[in-house]
Parts: sequence; structure tokens; C-alpha cells
Amino acid sequence: MTLEGTLLLGLMLFSLGLYAVLARRNLIAILIGIELMLNAANINFLAFNYFIPTDPAVAQIIVLVVIGLAAAEAAIALAIILKLYRQRSSVDVDAMQLLKSTGAETDDE
Amino acid sequence: MSLHFAIAAVVSLAGALLAVTQANILHAVFGLAIALVGVAGVFFTLNSPFVAIMEVLIYVGGIAVTMLFAVMLSSVSNPKERESVRRRLLAALVAGLFFVGGALLISHADFGAGKQLTAEAWGLEQVGRDLLGRFNLAFETLSVVLLLAIVGAIVIVRKEPTMPADTVPADSDEEAA
Repeated sequence: MTLEGTLLLGLMLFSLGLYAVLARRNLIAILIGIELMLNAANINFLAFNYFIPTDPAVAQIIVLVVIGLAAAEAAIALAIILKLYRQRSSVDVDAMQLLKSTGAETDDE
Repeated sequence: MSLHFAIAAVVSLAGALLAVTQANILHAVFGLAIALVGVAGVFFTLNSPFVAIMEVLIYVGGIAVTMLFAVMLSSVSNPKERESVRRRLLAALVAGLFFVGGALLISHADFGAGKQLTAEAWGLEQVGRDLLGRFNLAFETLSVVLLLAIVGAIVIVRKEPTMPADTVPADSDEEAA
């Protein structure tokens, strides 16, 4: 258990989250990827706090704030996803092209 | 402590892999819950038990369950459908490059040394004092943000009151009255 090992764990989680955000089409799966990335950042904060401490309470409070913001973000994002599903019967990001210019006149959805 | 960390790291990585690779979105949410429990374990080994408990309470108990609700309310017609191979390969390439670059950065970085601290500085008591003392503004701002997010979420998902003014016959008012 070293600083490098812990940072590497955070990096792995962040990369997995990045993969989910890029590869998945389902909006909820993309949200899962974002949550993984936020957790990776939290691990990094606490890792630096644990191995090279300067003010131990600060990182914990930063992480608490990030968790709270993630909760707010998830609530809003899920509300938007539900609204989109009601209006368009889909949570597929490829179907979200209402603002795309090409073929806007012949929108067949 | 090192064994605890290894177990927590394996659990979080396995959960994250499950969350990322499962085509069924319901399984992906369960994978996320497992990953978050593992991350809470990592927090615990990093001498932050309060943050670990909050992680389980808020993430697993709140966010993952809310996601389950959202999955069930927006039931996709074909949940087993996979993304195209090309898209997944491209994403894996970008994420892999990011990982390699980050790992190189970590292995070459010089992080320096920290201070020597007393045991009280780590304690939960100090976190509580700072949360309501030095960082009171962040704490209060966060509560306002959460309140606004909850109200905003309700406003967004609320069904608009249907007013079919043009579809209702003109004499329906008199019948209702």
C-alpha cells in the first residue's frame, strides 16, 4: 500500500469511467461512468491526504463536498433522463440529435 | 492494512469492470454499487472512516437506488443490445492511452513529503469542527445546492397539467358545471 499504488487504483477507475462515457450509448450507463470518475478523484484526494499529509481534515471535507455534489448531479441527470424518455421513448444518446442541422426538415422521429 | 487495501481495491475494480462491460443496464447499476462499496473500503484504509460511511450511505443507499428507479422507469425495449465493436474499440483505445499516460506520470512524479501530525489532527472530531468552523460556507452552500437540485429534479420530472383546450368540445364546461 503505497501512494503510487493508490493513485494507480484511482487511475484505473477513472479510465474505466472514461471508457463507459465514450463507449456506452445508454444515458444511465454514461452517468455510471461519470460516477466512477468522481470516485477516482476522491480516491486521489484521500491518497495524497494519507501519504503526504498537510491538513488531514481538509481532504475529507473536500471528498464530502464532492459526494454531495455528485448526489445533486445524479438527481438532476436522472430527472432529465426520465423526461427525455417520456418525450422520446429512448435513452439512447445517438437518438438525441434534435439540434443537428442536417435533415432537420425531414425529421422522422 | 495492506491486505485490507488489496481486498478493497480488487472489489472496487471488479465492480467497476462489471458496471462498464455489462450490456444489461440493471447489472451495470449493481456493478456500480459493488464498486462503490469497494471504494468505501479504500477510504477506510486511508484513515477516513467517516467519509467511507458517507460514501456507502449517499452513493450506495442514495445514488445507486435512484439509478435503479430510473432504469425501471425508463425500461429500454432491448436492454441486451450492445454497442458496435468499432465504438467500443475506439473508446478502449482512448481510455487505454489515458491510463498509460497517467501511469507514466505517476511513476515519474516526485510528490515530496508531508508534515508530521498529531493523532488528533486525523480524528473525526477535527473533521466536524472544520466542517462547521473553517469550512462552514462550503457546508451551507452544499446544503443549498442539494435543496435546489431536489426541487429542480421534481420540477423537471413533474408531468405538465394537461390542458386539452382545443380537443375538448366547447360545451363541456357547462356539463362539468
